[in-house]
Amino acid sequence: MKSILKITIALGFIMTLTSCWTDKSKRNYQYMPDMYKSVGYETYSQNPNFANGMTTQLPAEGSIARGQVPYDYPNTNEGYEDAKLNSKNPLEVNEENLANGKKMYDIYCISCHGQNGAGDGVLVQRDKFLGVPNYKDREITEGSIYHVIMYGRNMMGSHASQLTAKERWEVTMYVEQLRTELLK
Amino acid sequence: MLLNTTFVKSFKNDLSHIFLHENIVPNNNEKIFLSMKSVKQHSPLSRLIISSLAFLLFFSLNLSAQEGDAANGEKIFKSVCAACHKLDKKLVGPALQGVTERRDQDWLIAWIKDSPGMIKSGDKLAIQVFEENNRLPMTANPQLSDQDIIDVLAYTKGDSAAPVAAASQQAADPGVELGKAVFKANCAACHKLEGKLIGPELLKITDKRELSWLKLWIKDNNALAASGDKLAIEVQASNPAAMTPFPQLSDEDIDNVLKYLAVGDVEQAVASSASSTDQEIFDNPGFGVLPTLALTILAFILLSVIVAATTNKKVVEGEESTPSMLKTMIFNPFLRFLVIIFVLLGGAWMVFGYLFQIDVNEGYQPIQPIAFSHAVHAGDNKIDCQYCHSSAKHSKTSGIPTLNVCMNCHKSISEYNGALFGDYSKEDLDNEIQKIYDAVGWDKDNVAYIEGFEQKPIEWVRIHNLADFAYYNHAQHVTVAGLDCQKCHGPVETMHEMKQFSPLTMGWCIDCHRQTEVDMTENGYYKNIHDQLSKKYGVEKITEAQMGGLECGKCHY
Repeated sequence: MKSILKITIALGFIMTLTSCWTDKSKRNYQYMPDMYKSVGYETYSQNPNFANGMTTQLPAEGSIARGQVPYDYPNTNEGYEDAKLNSKNPLEVNEENLANGKKMYDIYCISCHGQNGAGDGVLVQRDKFLGVPNYKDREITEGSIYHVIMYGRNMMGSHASQLTAKERWEVTMYVEQLRTELLK
Repeated sequence: MLLNTTFVKSFKNDLSHIFLHENIVPNNNEKIFLSMKSVKQHSPLSRLIISSLAFLLFFSLNLSAQEGDAANGEKIFKSVCAACHKLDKKLVGPALQGVTERRDQDWLIAWIKDSPGMIKSGDKLAIQVFEENNRLPMTANPQLSDQDIIDVLAYTKGDSAAPVAAASQQAADPGVELGKAVFKANCAACHKLEGKLIGPELLKITDKRELSWLKLWIKDNNALAASGDKLAIEVQASNPAAMTPFPQLSDEDIDNVLKYLAVGDVEQAVASSASSTDQEIFDNPGFGVLPTLALTILAFILLSVIVAATTNKKVVEGEESTPSMLKTMIFNPFLRFLVIIFVLLGGAWMVFGYLFQIDVNEGYQPIQPIAFSHAVHAGDNKIDCQYCHSSAKHSKTSGIPTLNVCMNCHKSISEYNGALFGDYSKEDLDNEIQKIYDAVGWDKDNVAYIEGFEQKPIEWVRIHNLADFAYYNHAQHVTVAGLDCQKCHGPVETMHEMKQFSPLTMGWCIDCHRQTEVDMTENGYYKNIHDQLSKKYGVEKITEAQMGGLECGKCHY
């Protein structure tokens, strides 16, 4: 009889142990978390020192980081026309740039503009985002393409936060290539 | 596609002119010429006649011209205008419902074709419209024909409800399904419902052509053209590829195909989610019933054999007389020994199992402030992972997208129209989208950011978390090594609610570093190293571990 009791106790003990982390909406517990939590503030962490509670603060207006070149055309209609005429691609048109341009296009543009730039991306096909123009229907130059990636236009948003300046020019290059193919 | 529709439209235009000449002009032909002369003479009577005639002519012209094809207009509207306009609501541009009542049709046509030109030319109304809409210039659409624009204007009147109702009535017709089969077998090689293939697109072709004409055309278009049918000759001339005649199709077949073409693919109302639980069970069968049963029986037989073997011995020795089965089992020393061993082993297994899962968060699934669904965005809509998590390619941290990325699409998508998931109703999910607007200060009725709004960040709950003493860099895994996101984060595109897929323990990292080969062909940095290392290890393929990917300092400094 004693052994039955022992077995039951042992089983009960084991069951309790294994069923500890059942609530998956909370973190599992830790054992002596010595250097688990960062002493400094990490990129996206909360920060009690600032009014908006974020560690990520905006840089001072007008400051220029090393290696960055500000884009001088303003986000207005005049700026668009100006960029369309005068803004030129500083990159050399070569395989490598075009390949990376395609890579970036396939990530950031393809959902709406479609693989060939005919305005038939998945979102358009699924009736989610309508009225995406075919590249061949619009008069666009390298300057205007870059300008629109930079600031967005009408319903299209700015993609400057997702692409670096070099990548934006590479995408511009690739879009021009798509457009010439569409115009054939 | 566009070419094709413009052809049809311009043809219709021609037709309407023919009607005009036949119906109105012949009767008044002479009078018109008379009155033309009388204009110079300024006679009151002739002026009255000419003005009334002109009015009549203009009015009838206008009427016939306004008979736009709303269905075609809807298509053009969706592909050209919908980026900035909605019918019933303001978007970037104003709402367009009933615009034909507010503005003159000729002005609208000119405006749609070249609005910047009109503003430059100093058209007062154009400048006024431009000023009213925050000075956002409307894109010029010189590629649209007059008839296209008239169709779009017809669509803005919102009279497309009737054909939709008719379509849904026809949908119940079994002929539609039969027609679909015939279409797939005979027509689909050259035609699609929507979009041009070799032949023109055929959806709603029945609205554009006479049924009887279509029948003749399908049966033998060459014969029809040879018989001198103008329409047939014109259609043939417009398409470089000749259409195969189908004399083998019965009238009934053709009827069915036409029914199908009028309606198109009817969406199945049955939700696929019903079978999802079955599917889950099917995918994860767990431990099968049969093997379990077999094991139990086996264990039971083993047990009885042991009991029988050891007890018999005792009976022979005369220690016990007639014990019950249970009693013999309990007091059987060998069985007790076995049970103790089993319990000890099992206990140890469980204790170790418990100790090993401390601080392992596999399956961690917290409740997020917004019910963001990766399955909808990355799965259904096939948005690339890096569209939102764009810093993965350059940074150690693959960040949570900022709200401007949400707004890139949700400026125009303010309602959820996809398949429902979880326990959410459509209203719930619309509310979830509203939460973005509340955080970022977007007024969805006026389609503009609220001025002076104090934006609040959304407090997402971080799921994947490494201890601070471990260094992990997304960029070198994503950009350099070219790993798929799914390798570490699991099938995220199927998760409505995000959860941790991998344990993220050190053993898990090291396992992968031991097995993964490094691709050294593309990367110039490895040119020399590859030759040296492959000589040192005598292998062609170098794993991460051989590159020093297991050194403490690589990750823990």
